[in-house]
Formats: sequence, structure tokens, C-alpha cells
Amino acid sequence: MVLITPTMILMIMAYALTVDLEHIPIAVLDQSRTKISRMFIQQITAGDDLDLFAQVGSIDEIELMLVRGEVKAAIILAPDFSNQVLSMRGMPMQVIIDGTEPESGNFAVDHIGQRVERFIRDVMSDRMQALGIPEQALLPIDLRVRAWYNPGLEPRVDMIPGLISMVLGFPALSVALALAHEREHGTLEQLMVSPIGRADLLIGKMIPYIIVGMANVVLMPILAMLWFDIPFNGSFPLFLVLSAFFLFGILSMGIIIGVFMRTQAAAMAVSFLLIFFPGFFLTGIFFPIASMPEIMRMEAIFLPGTHYALITRGLFLTAVGMDVLWPYAVMLVGLGILFTGVAALFFKKRLG
Amino acid sequence: MTDAIIQTDGLTRLFKEHRAVDALDLSIQPGELFGLVGPDGAGKTTTLRLLAGLLQISEGDGSVAGFDLRKQAESIKPQIGYMAQEFSLYAELSVVENLQFFSEIYDVDPDEVEGRSERLLAFAGLSEFKQRRAEHLSGGMKKKLALACTLIHKPKILLLDEPTTGVDPVSRREFWEILSELNLSGTTILVSTPYMDEADRCARVGLIYAGRLVICDTPTAIRNELPGDLLELHPDDWRKTRDLLASLPGVIQVQTYGETLHVIVDSAALRLPELEQALEAAELDFRSMRPAPARMEEAFISLINRLGSQEGR
Amino acid sequence: MLFGGALELVLVGWATSRPITNLPLMVLDHDRSQESRRFIVDLENTGTFALEPMVTNVETIEQALLRGEINAALVIPPDFSEDFSSAAQQPTLAVILNGAESIPALTAQRAIEGVAQEWGDRLAVSRIGMDPDAMEGFLPSLRVWFNEALNEAYYTTPAELGLMLEFTVLIFAALSFSRERELGTLEQLLVMPFSSLEIIIGKAIPVMIIGLFDFALMLALTHLFFGVPVRGSLTLLFLLATGYVLVELSKGLVISVMVKTQHQAFLMVMLIGMVDFMFTGYAAPVESMPQVVRFISNFIPAYHWLEIVRGILLKASGLAVLWPHVMALAIIGVVIVTFSIRFVRRTLQ
Repeated sequence: MVLITPTMILMIMAYALTVDLEHIPIAVLDQSRTKISRMFIQQITAGDDLDLFAQVGSIDEIELMLVRGEVKAAIILAPDFSNQVLSMRGMPMQVIIDGTEPESGNFAVDHIGQRVERFIRDVMSDRMQALGIPEQALLPIDLRVRAWYNPGLEPRVDMIPGLISMVLGFPALSVALALAHEREHGTLEQLMVSPIGRADLLIGKMIPYIIVGMANVVLMPILAMLWFDIPFNGSFPLFLVLSAFFLFGILSMGIIIGVFMRTQAAAMAVSFLLIFFPGFFLTGIFFPIASMPEIMRMEAIFLPGTHYALITRGLFLTAVGMDVLWPYAVMLVGLGILFTGVAALFFKKRLG
Repeated sequence: MTDAIIQTDGLTRLFKEHRAVDALDLSIQPGELFGLVGPDGAGKTTTLRLLAGLLQISEGDGSVAGFDLRKQAESIKPQIGYMAQEFSLYAELSVVENLQFFSEIYDVDPDEVEGRSERLLAFAGLSEFKQRRAEHLSGGMKKKLALACTLIHKPKILLLDEPTTGVDPVSRREFWEILSELNLSGTTILVSTPYMDEADRCARVGLIYAGRLVICDTPTAIRNELPGDLLELHPDDWRKTRDLLASLPGVIQVQTYGETLHVIVDSAALRLPELEQALEAAELDFRSMRPAPARMEEAFISLINRLGSQEGR
Repeated sequence: MLFGGALELVLVGWATSRPITNLPLMVLDHDRSQESRRFIVDLENTGTFALEPMVTNVETIEQALLRGEINAALVIPPDFSEDFSSAAQQPTLAVILNGAESIPALTAQRAIEGVAQEWGDRLAVSRIGMDPDAMEGFLPSLRVWFNEALNEAYYTTPAELGLMLEFTVLIFAALSFSRERELGTLEQLLVMPFSSLEIIIGKAIPVMIIGLFDFALMLALTHLFFGVPVRGSLTLLFLLATGYVLVELSKGLVISVMVKTQHQAFLMVMLIGMVDFMFTGYAAPVESMPQVVRFISNFIPAYHWLEIVRGILLKASGLAVLWPHVMALAIIGVVIVTFSIRFVRRTLQ
């Protein structure tokens, strides 16, 4: 089970991340109730992105729906909506979004905004014709946006390589327990009394998990490509080599914990707090490191996951090679040596 | 004696304030079968761990196989075979796999391994159980396997921590036969045990109590430490009998063993009739009272008590 | 684990529950006019970007994107200001986003689009001959309910809190019997004169206390450090927290008797925790997930618990609104607890 746990978790998480922000439910309160307002509402809800959940008669109903989570956004058209629009004095409306989670709310605002823009220009077009202004004059700035490596900006495309980094940290949790396990069962005593060297002993504990890790390293990209259509544009052999470096780095973090913790329970708690949780939140997978406070950015450098996430994204999406990735490779090996060294330094072949 | 293979000088180990091993002076000769005897908590395990380089020395010095314990602990390790009190082999591995593992750790010549394993397994009576997982062995077999694993690299010295505790009497005897054979072939063996009867099988015995070496000598000499003679007595009311006897002149000590009393007197010939008379006078019945040969147990307890009274406990 | 977890929650929250800022942006300005410079300044003022030194050719941008050094690039064509001052020409701008980091890319896109839209509106207004201040009337007013201040912590900390609580309870519960079994003390426990139910309760109570204490601690910390309010009933929250802890505890107990070693217990906890985490809505809203996933989410206690937490903390929801989740949690809870008690009893005997 240890063998494929990382892959299993990746599959599940990746599947959940194939989100499709569509059909966001909204509520509409039309206080104007004129042809214009109805036209507007129709324009807003035409299309797949926004769904009209209900047209309500009062703000209280809106409140209820937002609280219940039935709608993610609401539009209120003021009573003088029609007049204002026709006389081109304004477009009195209010957009309310659910502030408890940003994605749907932002999505709704963006798309409503687009509709509003178009509507205004439609309305204005008559007036413009009268003034002799060509329609072209009112076009918005032509913003040509291209997203490289992930044209649709689908979250799963870049998250999945990032998740690989996170999920591959699992063997490190196990290795942290390994030394504590031997302590609890007395086999460590026997090893300590033997002539085996300290570093040999520690590295020996890491090796089975490197193998387990590598098995997953081979499996995960295949699944990512086949199942989730994630492109793999870089060099696979390079990926294998750099993944091994990563495993070395992260397992040595686990070994340090194993050296210092006396019981498996303690090793569990500490490895969860120092390897798993930071590996999840602080390695730039979900939240960009550039936006973190300076201290955390420094700290992220010491997490192998940070560097490996950049490597995976680079190899999956950007198709870069060692010429770009070498600093990360160096960091991974360096961290591995550092951590193993510290572990070997503090690990005494003595019970007390 | 500089040709001692295990030599300690004031060896002490502190755990916070507690002196687990207190100024131990040991001198064990090559090829000796030495028993470290003492009750639970006396410091046997700590002593063995100190000698194996598993614990750091607090005070004093020592050397094993010519290597200094403080500075050259790692060099001692290839020379010794150490068997911990708790089962410390890999439960998930089979008998043979455990042997294989330890042979690799100790850098045993791969060509030799198979031959040695076969011989050791036969020696330990485990040949039929080669493939069985270590966790599925009986208590006695586990200990024998542990012993075999300590021997795979042919160490000159064996440090065995209570190897027969928790083992059935038959296996115990077999185990000691194995030890005798090993000893005959020249291996120095330091065994710790709480069983006084096992001490008799050793060439020399060190009695350890509260971290101190109470006495270190041959079993015979120790037994002779018992001042006076020993009378064995089966009273009906052991409590009253004990109290009475303890107050009589010439009685050095009364030890209780279940419902039997062992009375240590300065002279059996002199005191036996006196005691009988005293008991009769007090109307305390007993089944028999007769001289008995002194055993290690009595000597030990007597020594402990003397130590205790010396310290004014 | 208790205090470490709470501390870590604060640390992680401090690092990540904040607006996305400082995104490296590269600009290639072919126009180099007052207009283009002002546009760049407006971009800077959104606070989203960290402006890289101006570049002189596209290759630099391409290299930077390849190396992942920037999140977005803007190319301003040479006739930008010209088009701007003309009567009817449509100005263009080219934006390249680094899709390898989709979350910052989306933020960058929104920021750039925001400025572009503002400029476009102003342009339109001036071309029609309207008073620019009159433009105000055309901008819909935006209200963000439950989070007027747009405090990022509102989005993330409830989920982080939920996750931490779940893991803490699960780890402690999963260790309870598996540890004893591995170390051999389980036998001893079983020969004691306690019924297996009593043993189970004996194991459950400390975990329960730890769990609730942990929750209280973390709630207090998120409130203190991140300003996350408790708008609803605190009593209700704690009541439901007790229920949730009980459910997770039961899951943990089942794990603890199912596995043979502590290591296995740990792996199972991690596995379950990770899966459950997806349903807390941290990475993406559950409503937008594939249908199968959404269906399964109804059976995950963590999902309902997160809805309850967000409801009570941010929306001042009471039972009237939350009852579907409470019901679901109760039903799942009863099933899990009953199953776990029976399973654990049977295994112990």
C-alpha cells in the first residue's frame, strides 16, 4: 500500500481539481421592470457562464439565498434603471457577491462586467449614430491575452505537476517513522552495537523509500498524461534524475525527524507539521511564493518541495532543460546533503 | 592485570542523580565465563551497555579488547557480540534472513556466511525453522536466534544481557550448554542473570546490587562468604518463629523463603540444640531443622544486608 | 501536535491568507509615450505587480517566461497613444500570461483587464463628449457580502482550520489502538475487567478533549491573528464541533483497529485526510467539481463541517439555514459511530 499511496492520492485530488467554473447561479432583483431591464437580464443570463437561479422580489430573499449558498452572486437593478440608461446618465445597479469564497464571486463579477460593457455599448450605439460617431470609437481596448503553457488557464494543468511534488513527499513521512520504529522495537539497539557507520545506517534507511518514490515517479506522469491530458513536454530521463534528487532531499528531512524523535507517534506529529503541511501550503503550489512575506519566502527555499514544484512544472509544461533547472537541482542535492549531514551529526550510535 | 580482556576502573553511569552503575571495578580474563548476577534494577543491563559502547560513561574508565571505552567505542563493536535483554531482531524477517542481515552488517566474508549460518543454526537447534518469521518463534527459540546472530562474525567477546530470562527450564539448560561449548572454544563470555543457580555455572561471578559490585569471585568463594552455617527450618508459624529466632544469641540472620526459614548461625553444632529448645519453650512447632549447604542466594542476601547495615539503612 | 498545529496554522495563514501581490511583470513598451507610461503606472498601482526593469525586445520576455521568472508580460504597440488620441481607432495591447502558474496568472489577468477596462471606459466617455465624472453612474456598485473588507483570510483559514483539526483528531484516534497493538500492550488492556465499550470510551474521551481544545485554540488564534469573526452562535459552533470531532474520532478508531502497525495507521490518516481536504473547498469550490465528485461530497463529514464553519463564522447562519448540513453530518455521524463501535468491539474480542 505504501507503494502506490502517493499515486492514489494524486489521482483523487487531480480529479477533484478538474473544475469547470460554469453555471454559476445568480439571483436578480429587478426593481425597474421595464423592457430595457428585462433585456439586460436576458443578456446577462444568456450563455453558460451565469445561470439565473431565481428572480426575486426583495433584498431579503437575496440575503437568504446567499446565506444558504444557493446563489453565488446577485444583481439589483434600481427602479430608475431604464430611465438612466435611456438618457445615458448611468446604469444604476448593484452587484452583490458571496465573499466567503473568491473564485465564484470573482468569476461572476468578471462576466457580469463583460455583459455590462457590451450592454452599455449597445445602448450607446444609437446615440452615437445620431452624433455621427462610428461604432468603432466605443470599442474597449483590444486586450489580446495569451496564456503560455496552459492556454485555457485551467487550474489542474499546473496544479497536477505541483501536486506530484506534494504527494511524493509521502515517503518522507514514512522514513521519519522508520528510525522511531526501530527504537520502539529494540532493533535499533542491535544496529547501534554493530560496526555499521552512522551515515550508512541513515542512508540505508532512506534507500527503500527512494525506490518506492521512484516507482511513483514513473507511474504518476503516465497517469497524468493518459487520464488528465496533462502535457509532458520535457525530457523524461531528466525528470527521473531530478525526481531522485528530490527524493533524496525530502527523505533526508524525514531522517532528521527520525533521529530526533523517540517514538513513532512523535515522529508522526512532527513530520506532519514540518514536512506535510508546509509541503502543501508553503511551496508555491496553491499560493505564489512571490506574494508571501519575505521570511516565508526564505523558508520556502529550504523546502525541497518548492524547488521540485518548479522542476515538475518546468518539465511538464515549459519543456525546459538542465540549463534552466540546474539551480533547483543543485538546491535539492544541497539540501539533501545538508539534512543528511545534520542527521548524521546528531545521530549517536548510543542509547544515552 | 593488563592482560584482562575487559577492564574497568571506577566505571560509573549516572542517570540524572541516580547512580545506576557505581564505581565498578571489573577485570575479566580472556576466555573467562563471567556471570554478572543481581536483582532487577541492580545495574546489570547498564553495565553491559556501557561495555558495549551503547551508553556513555559518566565517570571512570574502561577498556574492552584493548580499546578504550571512552575514545574508541566504535572499534570495540566489531570485536563483540551483544545480545540485548529485549528481543531486538527483525520480527518480519525469517530466521535465515536475520542471520543474513547481520552477516552483512558485520562484513562477514560472503563465502563464509552460508557455512557459518548452517553451523550456527544447527548449534542453536534452529535448522528446521530456517524460513519461519522471527516473530513466530517461541521465546526460547528467539533467544537462541539472537545468540546465533551475535555469533555470525565470530566475536572474541560475548556480552549477553539476561539471555535466559523468560525462557522455559529445558531451553535454559540447552542455552547454557551452548554457552559452555562456546566458552570451551575460547570465547570470553560475560552473562548477566537474575538467576542465582546460573551463577554457579560461571568461572567467576560478580554480584551487583544498587549499581555496586558487592563481591567478585568464584562461586565457591562467594558461598564461603556466608559467615557461619546455615540451618534450614520448616516452621508452622513462620512469622513468630522468625521473630523469635532473630532475637536469639548466635543467630546472625534469618532469611525467609516462602514458608521456609534459612537461619544463619555462627556455629550449627552449637546453636542447633539451643534453637530447638527455644522454639519448644515458646511452643512454636516446626517440622524439621537441619544444616543445609550454603547457596549463592543466601550469601548474596547476607552480603546485601551487611552492606545495608553498613550504610545505616 | 496540539500547539504545533495551532502555531503552524497561524504561520501558514500569515504566509498565504493574503492578497496576491508582487507578481513579476515585464513590460515591452514600443510606444514610450506619456500614455503608455501612465498605463504602466496604473498597473503598478493595482498593487498586484512587481515591475521588472523595462525590456527592449521580445526575446527577453520569452526567455523570462520560459524560465518561470515572470508571471505576466505586457507588450505595448508603437501606435498605442496614437490610437488613444484618435477619434475612432481601437487601441490594442498584448498580454502574455505564464500559464504554468495558473492562479497568479488569473489574478494578473484580472488586474490588467481591470485597468484596461477603466481606460477603455474613459476613452469611450471622452469620445462621446461626456463629462468623465458622469461615468460614475455607469459603474455598477459592488458589494461583497460577508467579507466587505475582502480579507483573504476569510477564504482560506476556515479550510485550513478544518484540515488541521481533522488531522489532529484522526492521528490521535488512529494511534490509540494501533500503538498498543504494536507495542504489545493491547493484550494487557484486553484482560482487564473492562467491557470493550468501556475501553473504547476510555480511548475516545482524551481524543475528544484534545480535539475540542484544539478547535477552541485554533479558532481563537484565527480570530486574533486574522480577524476572522464569529458572526453566528458560538454555542452552536461548539456543539456541532463536538459532533464533528466525534465523527472523525470514530473514523480514527476504526483505522486504529484495522491496521497492524502505527505506520499503517499514519498512512491511512494521511490518505483520508488528503482526500477529505479536496472537499473543503480550499483549492476550488466544490460546486464546480465534476458531478461524481459533488455527489460523493455529501458523504464526507469534512465537507459539511466546512460549510457549517463558514456559515457560522462568516454568514451568521443558524440552524434554520444549516440544518441540511447538520442533518447530513448527524446521519453520517451516527452511521460511522455505530459502525465503528461495533467494528472495534468485534475486533477487540
